Amino acid sequence: MTLKTRIISRLDIKGPNLVKGVHLEGLRVLGKPEKFARYYYQAGADELFYQDTVASLYNRNHLGELVRRTAQEIGIPMCVGGGLRTLADIRAVLRAGADKIAVNTGAVRNPDFIRQSAEAFGSSTIVVAIEVIRQPDGTPFCFVDNGRESTGLNAIEWAQQVESLGAGEILLTSVDREGTGNGFDIPLVKQIADLVNIPVIAHGGAGTAVHVADVIKKGHADAVALASLLHYGVYAELASDSDDFNAEGNTQFMKRNATNKRIKPVHLADLKASLTSAGLPMRLPHAQT
Amino acid sequence: MSLSIPPVAVVDFGLGNLFSVQLALTRAGLSSIITDNPEDLRTAPAVIVPGVGAFGDAMNALRARKLDAALHDYRQSGRPIVGICLGQQLFMEESEEFGAHKGLGFIPGTVRRLPAGLLAEDGRKIKVPTVGWNTIARPAARPTGWAGTLLEGVREESDMYFVHSYRVILDNDAEALATTTYAGTVYCSALQQDNITAFQFHPEKSGQEGQKIYQNLAAQLAKDSRVPILELHSQGAVPPSN
Amino acid sequence: MSQQLASAGFQQKILDKQLVKLPQQIKYCTKCAISNQRPRIEFDAEGVCGACRYVDIKTKGTDWTSREKELAALCDLHRSKDGSFDVIVPCSGGKDSSRVAHELKHTYGMNPLTVTWAPFEYTPEGFRNFRNFTKSGFNNLMAWPNGHIHRKLARIAFEALGDAWQPFTYGQVCYAFHIAKSFGIKLVFFGENGEAEYSGDPRVFNLRGMPFDHWAEQYFKGVTVDDLIQYGLTQTDYLTKDDYVDSDLTFYRPPNLDLMKKIGVEFHWFSYYKMWVPQENYYYASEHTGFQANPTGRSEGTYSKYASLDDQFDGYHYYLAFIKFGIGRATSDAAHEVRDGHLTRDEAVGLIRRFDGEFPSRWFPQFLEYLDITEEQFWAVVDRYRLPHIWKKEDGRWKLRQAIYDESGPYQDEPGYLLTTPASANISAQS
Repeated sequence: MTLKTRIISRLDIKGPNLVKGVHLEGLRVLGKPEKFARYYYQAGADELFYQDTVASLYNRNHLGELVRRTAQEIGIPMCVGGGLRTLADIRAVLRAGADKIAVNTGAVRNPDFIRQSAEAFGSSTIVVAIEVIRQPDGTPFCFVDNGRESTGLNAIEWAQQVESLGAGEILLTSVDREGTGNGFDIPLVKQIADLVNIPVIAHGGAGTAVHVADVIKKGHADAVALASLLHYGVYAELASDSDDFNAEGNTQFMKRNATNKRIKPVHLADLKASLTSAGLPMRLPHAQT
Repeated sequence: MSLSIPPVAVVDFGLGNLFSVQLALTRAGLSSIITDNPEDLRTAPAVIVPGVGAFGDAMNALRARKLDAALHDYRQSGRPIVGICLGQQLFMEESEEFGAHKGLGFIPGTVRRLPAGLLAEDGRKIKVPTVGWNTIARPAARPTGWAGTLLEGVREESDMYFVHSYRVILDNDAEALATTTYAGTVYCSALQQDNITAFQFHPEKSGQEGQKIYQNLAAQLAKDSRVPILELHSQGAVPPSN
Repeated sequence: MSQQLASAGFQQKILDKQLVKLPQQIKYCTKCAISNQRPRIEFDAEGVCGACRYVDIKTKGTDWTSREKELAALCDLHRSKDGSFDVIVPCSGGKDSSRVAHELKHTYGMNPLTVTWAPFEYTPEGFRNFRNFTKSGFNNLMAWPNGHIHRKLARIAFEALGDAWQPFTYGQVCYAFHIAKSFGIKLVFFGENGEAEYSGDPRVFNLRGMPFDHWAEQYFKGVTVDDLIQYGLTQTDYLTKDDYVDSDLTFYRPPNLDLMKKIGVEFHWFSYYKMWVPQENYYYASEHTGFQANPTGRSEGTYSKYASLDDQFDGYHYYLAFIKFGIGRATSDAAHEVRDGHLTRDEAVGLIRRFDGEFPSRWFPQFLEYLDITEEQFWAVVDRYRLPHIWKKEDGRWKLRQAIYDESGPYQDEPGYLLTTPASANISAQS
C-alpha cells in the first residue's frame, strides 16, 4: 500500500464555458464546467483544477460562483487559479470553497508573494504554476498569462526558487506540448521532479493513456493534470440542447460534433485501469454504498 | 438539517482553510460555527480541531486564545473532539517540529517528521510533504474493527487524502485506529481515545468514504443524550462566522 | 492634403489615397470594437459596422450546405484525372492558407501546388511553421523577388504610403497567377475575402471569387508597383534606373491579361464556400499541418499568438495602421473575435486598452537596416501620418483624441480578484 499517483482533471474556464486550446491558445468551447466537474468527480478524479484562463488577460477572476457551486457537490480537493495577486484574492477563493490555489503571474511579478501566501495559508495551500516554452536552443523559459508574456526566467532555476519560497507544489505546464497530443515533455518534467522536494504535477501534451504512464514512470511526475485527453472523450455526451452559449463562445467544434485527430481520448476510469495494469498505484473507484 | 442540535464548534486558530470542514458538516446535516472563542466550545455538541501549518505556531495560537484550557475542559465533558491533520498532531504530548514543542498532551506520544530525502526503487524522490491519496488500513491490534468509531462503515483499505510532513507516534498502540504507509514508514493515520478521535488525513476532502466520518459524527450526536438542546435553529444554513 | 500631413521639413507627397476619405468624426461600432476610420468600412444608422452586418449574413443568412456543394462541384470540375496539379493555393505556412491547402487536398481530393511569396525576412517560428506545413505533405514553390529592388520598394512604400508592406502584397497575389499561367492551371484558391470579412462591403458578399480581368481592373485602380517606381525615381534620392531592370518587376505585376483569359484562370475565396472563422483555422492547422503558436509569446501589439507570424516586419504594418487610423493589431484581432462570438465587446475594449499601439521592438533594428533608414527617419515618416483628427499632442506626447477605452480610463494593472458574479458574461473590463 502506498501513495497513489494523482490524476487531476484540469478545466480551463472562460466566463460561463469550459474551453480547450492548443498551446494554451484558442477559446474552443467544449461545454459547461459544472457538468464536467460533476462527471469527473463521479468517475474517480483525484482532484479538480479550475483555471480562469483569461483572468490575467483581463485582470479579473470570475470563478467565485462556479467554485462555490462545485464545492457543494464534490468531495475531492479543488485547486483554483487565475489572476490571483493579493492575499485577499486568495482568501476570497478559499472562502468560496477552494482547497488550494495556483499562482503564476502573481508569483513572477512578486516572488515574495509566494512566501507571504505560504505563511498566511500554509504551504500546502499554495501551488505555483510554471508555464514553459522551450526556446530554439532548447532552454526552457517561463511564461505567464497562457504563454503570452515571456518572463526571462529559466524554468529550472525558477522551480528551485519557488520551492525555497514555500510553494507546496509545482504545476508544470509545457506550453509547447499543451493541446497537441504529442506527449509530455518528459525530460523537463523529470529534471524538475528530481530537483525539488515538493510534488510536481505534470501538465501539457497527453494524447494517449501511454503518454500518461510514461510521464509518471520516466518523468517521475507525482501527479498528472489532464484536459484534452479527458474532455474530448466526454464532451459530446455531456452536451445538451438546453446549454446556453448565446452570451459568448466559439462553439464551432461542438456544433460539428467533431473529433480531434491528435487526441485519443480515454475515459477516466479506463485510464486508471490501464495505469494500474502498467503497475502504477492508482486510487480506483469502488461501488458506492 | 437537524433543527435541535446546536452548532458544532470548528476551532479557528488562524491557520488553515476551514470552509471545506464546514461544508462537510453541512452535508452531514450539522450546523457549525467557526470560532476562536472558548465560550462557543462550552455549548457545542462536538468540537473539531482542524488545521494546517506549524505545530509551534498552532500551540501558541491556542494558548493565546485560551483555547488549550477550553479543549482540556471539553475533553472532560466527554463530548466528541475530532482532530484533523495538524489537529491530530496537537493532541500529542510533544513535537520535534522546529525545536521541541509541547502539545495538548491528550494522547501519549510524539510527533516526528516523515523521513526526507529517500529515493524509491526507480530512483524518484520520495517527496515530503506527502500529498495525495493513500490507503488506511485497520491495525491488526484492533480485532473489533471500526465498529462504534467514527470510521464505522468506512471500507477498509479505502484511500483518503493526505497532506502532511509530520506524523504521530503513539505510546499506546491500542489507540491506533488506522495505519498508512509512506516513505517506508507505517504510521498512525487515525487514532481514538475515548471521546477523542483524530485523523491525519482530511475526511472532508476524501470523497464519499471521508464523508462517512462526518455522517457518523452526526449520527452519534443525534443519539447522544448528553447533547444539550438549547433552542431551535430555524434555518439550515451554516451561520457565517469569522 | 499635403499641407495637412506634412510635418516640419518633410516635402515628399503622399500616395495613399485612403487617408483623404476618412470621416472626421470618429465613431466606434456598437457591436464589435472597430472604428469608422478603417478604410472602406460603413456604419449604419444604428452605429453597427458593415463587418458586423456581414456576420449576420454569414451566420444566419447563408446556406453553407449549398455553398459546400458548390465547392464540391467546382472541385469535381477542376480535379485532374492524372494527379497533376489542378489548383494553385497561395500559402505562407500560416494557419489560414495551410487549412485551405489541406482541406482541398484531403477532403476534396484536389492536387494543390502551393506557392509562397516570401516574406521580407522570415521569423524563426514562421519558417518552422512553413516547413512543418510542407512536411505534412505539400509541394511548394517559393519566390524571392530581387532583394535589392524589393528593399527599395519597401522604403518607397513606407514613405509614400506609410506602409512598407505594400510591395509584399503585389507579389502575394500576382505570383500565384504567374504560376497558374505557367502550369496552365485555371483554379487559384485564396483564403478569405478581406473586403467582406473586415469592411463588410456588401458588393462582395456573394462573390465566390473573380474572373481574372475583373481582378486586374481593380488592381490597376490602386497604387501599383509602377507608381512606386515612378515615385522613387522622382521623389527620392535613393532610386535610379540603375537599380532595376524590367524583369525584376515581373512578379509584382499580373501576367498578360489575354493569356490569362485564354487559359481561363479564375480565383476563388475559400471563405465563400466555408464559413470563415480564423480561430478554427488555427485549430485545424495545429491538428493537421504542424502549425505552432508563437513560441515567444503574444505578438507585439496584440494578445494573439497565432496570427501573422512569418514576417519580421509584420509588426510595422500594424503599427503604421495604428498611426494612420488609430486601429492597431489588437483592435483588428479583437474586433474579429467579437464578431465571431468568441469575445464580448467589453473584453475587446479591455484588450485594446492594454495592447493596442504597443511598439513592435523585437525586429526594429532589422527593419531599419532593411529599409536602410535611421531611427530618426523612421519616426519622421511615422509622424507625417498622424492625422490631426485622430491624434493630439499632450505634454509633449502623442495621444489618441478618442480611444475606445476613454470611458473606462487608462489601463491600470491593479491587483484584484473579483468574485462578484456578472449577470451575464458582459462585464466591464474595468470593474
